[in-house]
Amino acid sequence: MGKIDKALDTLHAMERGSESAALSYAAGTRAGMAVTLVYLCLLLSVPLQDLQRLVWFAVYPVVWASLGGVGYGRVMRRSLVVLPLIAFVGIFNPIVDTSPAFSVGSVVVSRGWVSFMSILIRGMLSVQAVVTLMSVCGFADVCRELRAVHVPSSLTMQLQLVYRYIGVMLEELQTMARARAARGYGRRSFPLRMWGTMTGQLFLRSVDRAERIHRAMLARGFDGSMPRYTPSERHGAHGVGSVVWAVAWTGVLVWLRFAHIGSIFNIVR
Amino acid sequence: MHMSDGLISTPVAAVAAVAAAALIGVAGFKVKKSTRPGIVPLTGVLGAFVFAAQMVNFSIPGTGSSGHIIGGVLLAAFLGPWAAFLALSSVLIIQCLLFADGGLLALGCNIVNMAAMSCLVAYPLVFRPLIGRGASTMRLMCASVLACTVALELGACLVAVETKLSGVTALSTGSFLLLMTGIHLLIGIGEGLATGAVLGFVRKVKPSLLEPEDRGVSRRVPLGAVVAFALAAAAIGGGLSMAASSDPDGLEWSVEKVAGSSDIPSAGVVADAARRIQSGTAAMPDYDNTFSGIIGAALVMLTLWGFCALLTRRRAVAAHVPDEHVKE
Repeated sequence: MGKIDKALDTLHAMERGSESAALSYAAGTRAGMAVTLVYLCLLLSVPLQDLQRLVWFAVYPVVWASLGGVGYGRVMRRSLVVLPLIAFVGIFNPIVDTSPAFSVGSVVVSRGWVSFMSILIRGMLSVQAVVTLMSVCGFADVCRELRAVHVPSSLTMQLQLVYRYIGVMLEELQTMARARAARGYGRRSFPLRMWGTMTGQLFLRSVDRAERIHRAMLARGFDGSMPRYTPSERHGAHGVGSVVWAVAWTGVLVWLRFAHIGSIFNIVR
Repeated sequence: MHMSDGLISTPVAAVAAVAAAALIGVAGFKVKKSTRPGIVPLTGVLGAFVFAAQMVNFSIPGTGSSGHIIGGVLLAAFLGPWAAFLALSSVLIIQCLLFADGGLLALGCNIVNMAAMSCLVAYPLVFRPLIGRGASTMRLMCASVLACTVALELGACLVAVETKLSGVTALSTGSFLLLMTGIHLLIGIGEGLATGAVLGFVRKVKPSLLEPEDRGVSRRVPLGAVVAFALAAAAIGGGLSMAASSDPDGLEWSVEKVAGSSDIPSAGVVADAARRIQSGTAAMPDYDNTFSGIIGAALVMLTLWGFCALLTRRRAVAAHVPDEHVKE
């Protein structure tokens, strides 16, 4: 049951991360969300053959994760999960597109390989931006900000409920899976019929829990919408600092997207 | 089937996001108007249930491998299509934001490909007409397998189309469609068997939980007709995709019409001479422009990372010292 443990670890780490990051992060959740969206749009608009520009785009997750107290290494490791799927789709590019892009000494690198690398880098960087956002700001604050920018309450309420009960359901499942493993005499696979019974049991427990939650919500005056709580001091900053932070990052990212990349490297050199 | 941001372009992501947002808006409205008691917490908790159920793999009979469910048809059978769509969309959003499963800009694509195709297309158009009232266990299983296969095949087709429209893959549309639908046919059958197993168990233990607000449907479509239709559709789809893959693409066609051949002709004697001179004089052609740029950018990023890590560590140490003193 490594997957369950791993998912629970991720949930707990995310909570811990957002708590600790609060000490060093003052930009505001809304500004973080806006810049992440701008970043993703600009990143995906970079042509696949412009590998160098894509590498430069790593500046945002590297700096934000490090300064946000999350650590880029952790973010980098989390982003590796996307590699199998995008590698599966992209691996045909080197096979199909063999026209030369550039050469390193006597080795000619084809356009297919360049586009394959670009797909991998794009995929990883986009995940890193989102992981950093969630680690620094926390899921609860992101939900609150979504509500504040008029995302329908039916969706934000569902997000909060699902998020809140994922941990509970996973712990319930972990208990059931542990009981099954203890009585499984070393068998690790789940035949379909047994899987159906176990998942069905989990479903019945979920429905019971939902009924209890509903009664508790009604007892506390639930009228179809969740109460809107006041913004916390932590990430609620919508002041000058967050505006400056968002404008500065947007400027840097737009410049990175449209500047002549050769000139950037010349400046650094 | 979670699409990553690496596989799509911004315009495709934007169109899918608008479609997904519209569907979520309608779903939210439908759930709000629902008269079923406790639908809001039930939708939330069952969303969490599907997430947890995805964590346990089941053995796929006869293959030696294992798989997990997506859960769209399963949720729709308990909650109805719109509430199920909302729950599955929430699960996809949380998977994207917290577990890096699928990209943020690709979220619209993922919601349309997975949640909409299973809850809003396969469930009402395949599962519900087939199942009716008092269906046998075999019928329930067949309906689940067909509905899940249709949902996954439609999703796979959309993934192929979206990736192709984004200009990410060099494969032809036909080949990519064939590859995606072939793989997802097996996954769909596995998903259908698993969905049928859970539905069969719940129906045996607590039948009132099935078919929540849609239990008025009593007209059943003959199972044989649907199977024949599905096979015919698969055959036609496969045939069309084969034909599509053998045709030249638009650019090749245009060049062929203009130049008489799809190969782009050489620019001439001067260009050939220039190329010869360049290859004779350049020790590493293109090295300065492209490769060094990539390496340079990567080195700067690594240095930046190191610098940031150093800065953060120093700050953490500085912040930690007073705590130690306090403890002492």
